[in-house]
Amino acid sequence: MKVTVKHWHAVAQWRWDTGNDDDSGDGDDVCGICRVAYEGCCPACKVPGDDCPLIWGECSHVFHMHCLLKWISTTASKQQCPMDRRAWVTAERKV
Amino acid sequence: MSSISARRLAKELAEIHSEGCPVGINLVKADDFTCWWFTIEVMGESLYQDEKFTLQFRFDSGYPISSPAVQFVVTDGKQAPIHPHVYSNGHICASILGNEWSPVLSVVAVCVTLQSMLASCKEKQRPVDNDRYIRHAPDNPKKTQFHYDDDTV
Repeated sequence: MKVTVKHWHAVAQWRWDTGNDDDSGDGDDVCGICRVAYEGCCPACKVPGDDCPLIWGECSHVFHMHCLLKWISTTASKQQCPMDRRAWVTAERKV
Repeated sequence: MSSISARRLAKELAEIHSEGCPVGINLVKADDFTCWWFTIEVMGESLYQDEKFTLQFRFDSGYPISSPAVQFVVTDGKQAPIHPHVYSNGHICASILGNEWSPVLSVVAVCVTLQSMLASCKEKQRPVDNDRYIRHAPDNPKKTQFHYDDDTV
């Protein structure tokens, strides 16, 4: 039998590389602040992707950048990570 | 156009409806995204056997970046638990509601914390400055600067 491909559709999917090897289930990969998926966008944005990126802390915790910055900009935050209350230090983006 | 707080609270509410609340905690009403009521009781052995309390959460549009205003309901015949950190007007002196609030906390997480605060209580008594505090207390407990001087009770 001879098959001729007349046309085809490419389908792609993207994910942030959060460094957590949790590729099996996409269950809990949400920003702890807004509870929206990392691949979604923060409540202030409309379009996911490079315009609403993630931010990594040296403590290994990950958030939507906009959510984290909103928190850090309050005095109540004492510039601490919302997860572990350690001083927030932004980690170098590991690609 | 829904606010940031409404979206986050809608998610929390959906989770409560699908998974239910932890034992001893029940949703009473959540008709909007500004005020929710829960009942809370301590399971097992405690000083609050057979007592059921009502917790009120008030949210502003900045939730969860800004903390919810949480207090026990003391109207309609309801009473606040007698506890060294709970004033008779329902206000609660708990650090996670004040300077240790974190936006990764949730309504249910706050309920559970307050439930365990009651569970570990050794002696039923009002805060020492109760009478002085309630005389001048603001309507919103978030406006009070509490001193979190005792982590043991």
